[in-house]
Amino acid sequence: MKGDILLEVEGLAKRFGGVQAVADLSFHVREGEILGMIGPNGSGKTTTFNMITGFYPPDRGRVRFAGRDITGLPPYEVCGCGICRTFQVAKPFRELTVIRNVMTGTLLRHPDPALAETRAEEVLRAVGLAERAQMQAGSLTTIDQRRLEVARALGTAPRLLLLDETMAGLNPTEVAEAMRLIASLRDQGLTVVVVEHVMRAVMSLSDRIVVLDQGTKIAEGNPREISSDPRVIQAYLGAEYQRA
Amino acid sequence: MDLTTIFQAVITGVLMAGIYALVAIGLTLIFGVVRIVNFAQGEFVMLGMYVTWWLWKAGGIDPYLSLLITMPVLFVFGVLVQRFLFRPILSAPDMAQIFLTVGLSVVLMNAALFFFTADFRSVKTTYSEWALRVAGITLSVPRIFAFAGALVLAGLLTLFLSKTDIGKALRAVAQDREVSMLLGIDPERMYLLAVGLGAALAGAAGGLIVPFFYVFPTVGVVFVLIAFVVVILGTLGSIQGALLASLIVGVAESLGILFAGADLGLVVVFAILVATLILKPSGLMGQA
Amino acid sequence: MKAAGSPEYYLPAGILLFLIVLPFLLPNPFYVHIVVMMAVFVVLGGAWNLIGGYGGQLSLGHAAFFGTGAYVSTLLVNAYGISPWITMWLGGLAALLLSLPVGIICFRLQGPYFAIATIGLAETLRLLVLHFRDITSGAQGLTVPFRGDAPWLLQFGSKIPYYYIALIMAVGVVLITRRMERARLGHYLVAIGQNQDAAEALGINSARAKARALALSAFVTGVAGVFYAQYTYVIHPDSVFGLGLSIQIALVAIVGGVGTTMGPVLGAVIMEFFIQSTQIIFAGQYPGLELMVYGGLLVAVILWRPRGVIPWFARLYQGLVARLPAAGGARA
Repeated sequence: MKGDILLEVEGLAKRFGGVQAVADLSFHVREGEILGMIGPNGSGKTTTFNMITGFYPPDRGRVRFAGRDITGLPPYEVCGCGICRTFQVAKPFRELTVIRNVMTGTLLRHPDPALAETRAEEVLRAVGLAERAQMQAGSLTTIDQRRLEVARALGTAPRLLLLDETMAGLNPTEVAEAMRLIASLRDQGLTVVVVEHVMRAVMSLSDRIVVLDQGTKIAEGNPREISSDPRVIQAYLGAEYQRA
Repeated sequence: MDLTTIFQAVITGVLMAGIYALVAIGLTLIFGVVRIVNFAQGEFVMLGMYVTWWLWKAGGIDPYLSLLITMPVLFVFGVLVQRFLFRPILSAPDMAQIFLTVGLSVVLMNAALFFFTADFRSVKTTYSEWALRVAGITLSVPRIFAFAGALVLAGLLTLFLSKTDIGKALRAVAQDREVSMLLGIDPERMYLLAVGLGAALAGAAGGLIVPFFYVFPTVGVVFVLIAFVVVILGTLGSIQGALLASLIVGVAESLGILFAGADLGLVVVFAILVATLILKPSGLMGQA
Repeated sequence: MKAAGSPEYYLPAGILLFLIVLPFLLPNPFYVHIVVMMAVFVVLGGAWNLIGGYGGQLSLGHAAFFGTGAYVSTLLVNAYGISPWITMWLGGLAALLLSLPVGIICFRLQGPYFAIATIGLAETLRLLVLHFRDITSGAQGLTVPFRGDAPWLLQFGSKIPYYYIALIMAVGVVLITRRMERARLGHYLVAIGQNQDAAEALGINSARAKARALALSAFVTGVAGVFYAQYTYVIHPDSVFGLGLSIQIALVAIVGGVGTTMGPVLGAVIMEFFIQSTQIIFAGQYPGLELMVYGGLLVAVILWRPRGVIPWFARLYQGLVARLPAAGGARA
């Protein structure tokens, strides 16, 4: 049901050597919303994705999806449950064509290759890659590789899509295009979590926003609340200034 | 079966472990630095054995003395292998790398067969048959020498890696190629050094066992198989791990021979491999 | 539209027809023997290619599956008089069962573990077969009692029937490869080979996909082992479990071109041709020289032709198809 809690993260923690990448992180995602996740570099966003999707086992904490405990399941089972992710650094199957890349996703729900191919063509049309279907994935431009990442993930027919910095390195026109795509996914009933550095995009796209800093949640709320939260300004602008 | 027999087997295993450690350290050094799994490591041992045998046969040079020749010869051989065979395939898929070293192993093994025939050769020295008897246990003197020699070489290598600048540079490359390049280390030269050292250690192992071990073209196969098990049990890339694991493997093999029969020693060694892969694939020194 | 008379159809048909009449064109049984061995290596290289080429998992111990098929079958034939036509499947099944724990243990791990474990497996089996001589007759090997022309016992007075069985098996492996390549498993294996993390994120259980490919590969290899035992009448632990055989099997796929349907076919023909010619040239006078050349070839292929001969051959074939006239001229 729209508005019900779909993903619930509770007390998640992960340590790498001497660095506490994520500490006691809890948040939830409601069905049908776009949740933005922001925070300075190294604040633990990607680590959180990796724990939810089974790439790292969490040290502590639980992940529940649609009422089921999926903590520590391997990545392929997490995907089977209906959560699919993209990677910050796109990982296309470089030597395969675009359509074969997407088929690799659609085969999960359509074991018959012919059906999987038809479904892959539909997905490619939806993300605007239909004309590039026969190109080698390795020769795509940056934005098209990002599109391909999203297309492959969509191919697995997820209920929840986790997008890891899909807009990094895109120019303003491309960002606008990407935002339209993500909004259209939500309108089709998909639930989306976006980890993003491009603030403007997250603010206008997200229904709610979770802000991370140094592995913990420092704020949560709708975009208006977040943009006026002093802690967020502190964490973000502080970091921005330091980098400059 | 009385306790003395068992103890005898344990001692024999420990003494052999020194040799296994040398071969395995060479293997793990090459893997750690160059990231190549060298299936020809056993043939490096075989080459060391033939060089030693030939020096003894043709020049009457004592096997231990000839280490001074065998090791440099094998070092140069290793450098050439790195330069002309490994370097072109450093970024190739694992499959290509493994097959290249397998091909090298086949070539070397059969070159030995071609030049030296399949005959079993041995080096007879005055001390070949010497043995000490302590509390009912026989200690073969050349085996003790081999063990001691192996320990000395392993110790020297550890000192080299920890105390000298070149040794530290070698470890830096093993840790992180990119960072070491930022530090001004030329990884290509470290690769040459690593494969040279790895081959020299294998050659030394070959030289050390010649007084009590037959020399024949396929002798390397057993050594490389055991070295693989040692290296996996001791964690890929770890020298301390290889030392510890070689003790376990050496003793297990020796006890296997005692209890299961001479032809099943290697089967026991493979059982250790299976157990490692099931219980702790990262090996004794591994993190997880 | 491609007419039935186009070279794309008649060329493969012509090749198949040629293979069918081939044994009658050969001057004596020795040449038939060579083509039988070529077909056996098409089967072995093709089976290896399923896991080694498509699965990207380098096996250096496929002799383990070959020997298991050969020994299981021959023991059953000799002890219970079961027809090899039946033990053929049992031998394949035994090899498949043997492959399951290997896959389960090794495919959780990334690294050289599978290559080393497969060598260990074949060596262990070889040593065990040598050791338990009460059952296996040890180094003496096992002999299939000669019954003359007994088709039901998979024995024939002439080499030609063996040739047809081997040919059917070889064609079968090509078809199995083709089928796997186009099925979900094939897509998954190729994707895993390109980027395992991305594949897992898309719901692919990479360990299971590889284990399936290995099981299929082991089964086919086991069946080939049974055929080999029947064909040569005698098997030894060193010949059917030896490291040399394992390397040769892999070499066939690598020389031809890994991860392609026709690569192992070409590889088998080239390798067998090569082996036979070196045997004729050196006439066994210089022990080691043949294998030295053989290992040198392996090194050379890896250094200079890492994709095998298949790209070169594919161009040749396409060129031929383009240049040949359509059959029955008028229709073209």
